[in-house]
Amino acid sequence: MSRILLKNKLDDCIAAWRSAGFSVLAPVRRSDLSRFDEVERSADMALDLVLPERTIKDHFFPQTEPLIKYKIKKHDIDSQEMLPPDMKRVFFGVRPCDASGLAIDDPLFGWDYKDEYWFKRRDNAVIVTIACTASDDFCMCTSVKLDPDSTKGSDVMLRPLQNGNGWQVEALTDRGNALLGPVASFLQEGSEAPAPVASVPVRFDVDRVMEWLADPASFESHFWKEISLRCIGCGSCTFLCPTCHCFDIQDEGDTFSGIRRKNWDSCSFAMFTMHTSGHNPRNTQSTRWRQRIMHKFNYYRGKFGVNSCSGCGRCTRQCPVDMGITETLQAITNLPK
Amino acid sequence: MIYNPFPMRVVSKREEAPGVRTLKLEFVKQEDHEFFKANYRTGMFGLYGIFGEGESTFCVASPETRKDYIECTFRQSGRVTTTLADADAGDIVTFRGPYGNRFPIEEFEGKNLLFIAGGIALPPTRSVIWSCLDQREKYGNVTIVYGARTVADLVYKHELEEWKQRDDVNLVLTVDPGGETPDWQDHVGFVPSILEKVAPSPDNTIAVLCGPPIMIKFTLNALGKLGFSESNVYTTLENRMKCGVGKCGRCNVGSVYICKEGPVFTAAEVSAMPQCDL
Repeated sequence: MSRILLKNKLDDCIAAWRSAGFSVLAPVRRSDLSRFDEVERSADMALDLVLPERTIKDHFFPQTEPLIKYKIKKHDIDSQEMLPPDMKRVFFGVRPCDASGLAIDDPLFGWDYKDEYWFKRRDNAVIVTIACTASDDFCMCTSVKLDPDSTKGSDVMLRPLQNGNGWQVEALTDRGNALLGPVASFLQEGSEAPAPVASVPVRFDVDRVMEWLADPASFESHFWKEISLRCIGCGSCTFLCPTCHCFDIQDEGDTFSGIRRKNWDSCSFAMFTMHTSGHNPRNTQSTRWRQRIMHKFNYYRGKFGVNSCSGCGRCTRQCPVDMGITETLQAITNLPK
Repeated sequence: MIYNPFPMRVVSKREEAPGVRTLKLEFVKQEDHEFFKANYRTGMFGLYGIFGEGESTFCVASPETRKDYIECTFRQSGRVTTTLADADAGDIVTFRGPYGNRFPIEEFEGKNLLFIAGGIALPPTRSVIWSCLDQREKYGNVTIVYGARTVADLVYKHELEEWKQRDDVNLVLTVDPGGETPDWQDHVGFVPSILEKVAPSPDNTIAVLCGPPIMIKFTLNALGKLGFSESNVYTTLENRMKCGVGKCGRCNVGSVYICKEGPVFTAAEVSAMPQCDL
């Protein structure tokens, strides 16, 4: 026996969470890209999507966010941090890869100097993940040693029932348990079997990839030039990545008042590393592509013990020139030893 | 906390060379100053800024033995540095830091010191120089080799004069061929070749080397010829930075984050980095 949430009780849950002060966010279809957004009823949720096109990262590390507001008088500066307000949020219907992405980025924002802007949003967010029973040709969680039902980064795990009527419910954390409190009366005991999780083929050998990247000789290999020829440096793969965290800081305003903002940036852009002198350590698209792969599958692991990839496949799915990480990592896998 | 800078009052400014200025800054708030005093060590860097323009990264040019103020020296070249260059005494600018690692000068105690700098890279070197000269008795011979493209491009001219006068400092000045003036009395030639000519002994000597990448490359060769081991040569690396605290993701050379693990490295550490990422 396990706890079951029936789909016809979902609206009751949403109402109960909302009256407990939570806003409920779920995947929704939008005219441009599907994404997580606030919903008031289950009919607005697009839970049938294999994966929304944009990640939940947007709600923790927004595309642009105010850091500081400033006012300047002749001999005085007043600068105030603009931390996000306390928000109680339920993210319902997150995919395991997106949930893992948050957990992957936590140590980066937390090491040494703590980034409050990230953690203020993380602290009161409850991640309700739905295990994947469907996948597409780009999904690659199993290639990075995660699964369609990985629990990493999740507070509550939902497993779709075989009969399609609802989900098996499992609280994984205290925060997840607390979330289930207000909706306990809408859950029921049941013995329905969960549907089998999606079968996602392993698309590359990540151990071989890590081994090759760790070899100093690989850094200057001609491989990088050939594999990145198609890259137009648009940055889509970084913006749609659940773990890409690089940012720029820019001022919006004048010398009297304004706002200093943190904006997404991308290692794909030439300006990313350009010195004032004109010298650019990563001055070609191939060196920038190498940086992206090395950062994800070598550097990040060296610092935080985990690869900076949760296998969602968006980088490949959305790439305008049909390139993506998967192709590169497959090519590395296939290099002669 | 981490992105909100300290307000700093400009105490004075000094024209060092064409386009190069030094600002002397003092803390507006006592608690900011206490934080700086507790944390600053020579070699660390900061982000200097003006709201509405942005922030630029450069070293703290003043030594750890003088922590009542911060001096920064920069070449006016972009949006932020142009605005900073316009700041006058009394104006308020901002500082974030001190960040990064440092020169381990207590490990240099009892040793001879060889400082080598090129052009606008004297400021980071000067922070170490004064940190050591202010405790002169702890160190052996002090040699400073400094070169710039032209006589006009030499920075800290008043301090060069002061070092020249001191009998406990051996100052070697040089300008690139063609950069000398008719009354120039010192060397003419590039830093690496002048260094080989002066030929300081590597025995019990630590070298601190700062300069543009091309100068560093050839000077490291010269130091090698003179018998210096890479682990006794310290240098600094610079890259574009936005956060300064290991998050914005751009200042790494290979896996090494300049803002966290640097900016001070031994030549041996720099050699171990992928050279084409520098």
